[in-house]
Amino acid sequence: MPYKEKTAWLALLAMVVAFGPYFAIAATTPPDDMLPNLRQLSFFAIAVVVQLIILAIGHLLLRRSSPDEAGAPADERDRLIQQRAVTYAYHVLISGVIMVAIVMPFFTGGWAIVNAAIFMIVLAEFVSYGVTVGSYRRQS
Amino acid sequence: MIDGAISNRVRILRFHNGEMTQAELGKRIGVTRQTIAAIEAGKYSPSLEAAFRIAAVFEVPLDEVFQWEARTGK
Repeated sequence: MPYKEKTAWLALLAMVVAFGPYFAIAATTPPDDMLPNLRQLSFFAIAVVVQLIILAIGHLLLRRSSPDEAGAPADERDRLIQQRAVTYAYHVLISGVIMVAIVMPFFTGGWAIVNAAIFMIVLAEFVSYGVTVGSYRRQS
Repeated sequence: MIDGAISNRVRILRFHNGEMTQAELGKRIGVTRQTIAAIEAGKYSPSLEAAFRIAAVFEVPLDEVFQWEARTGK
């Protein structure tokens, strides 16, 4: 498995572990719009810290297991896959931003909009790494 | 558009060049071992530049490494 595919799997895992519970909590216990909403902010901070810890440990382990591949620059196939992944993610992000910015303010407000925006960013990242993994799998 | 497929003889050429490894070929043309494996399996078509580099490594013309097989339509 190419090193860059391994790092894409790691990024997917980190997103699921960190933001899966975050969005589950956000969906089941909708945040109120009292200011400042430190409870909601702390949930988000925890999710980001968890994601960063998983990525840091994961990258450390991957680098130890294959140091040569970790230091190698991206080749032409890696760059093509990356371009494809970014293109798909861009469309997801743009669609999401349009929905959040134009549609949601008519129906809801405050943290619901913030969480929807965060969800779209995470979804776009998820699509990006998903396309990356899928492309490597198809070509292996 | 003309339909067709690219085939290659990279595996055979590696064999005829002292069973050169995929990693070594990859290193010489600047791609990973996995990319060479994908090229050999016909799952990835390299850039023209990489194709010329592969031909240069084996010291053969490009069309001895890669072939275009046109599919005849109806």
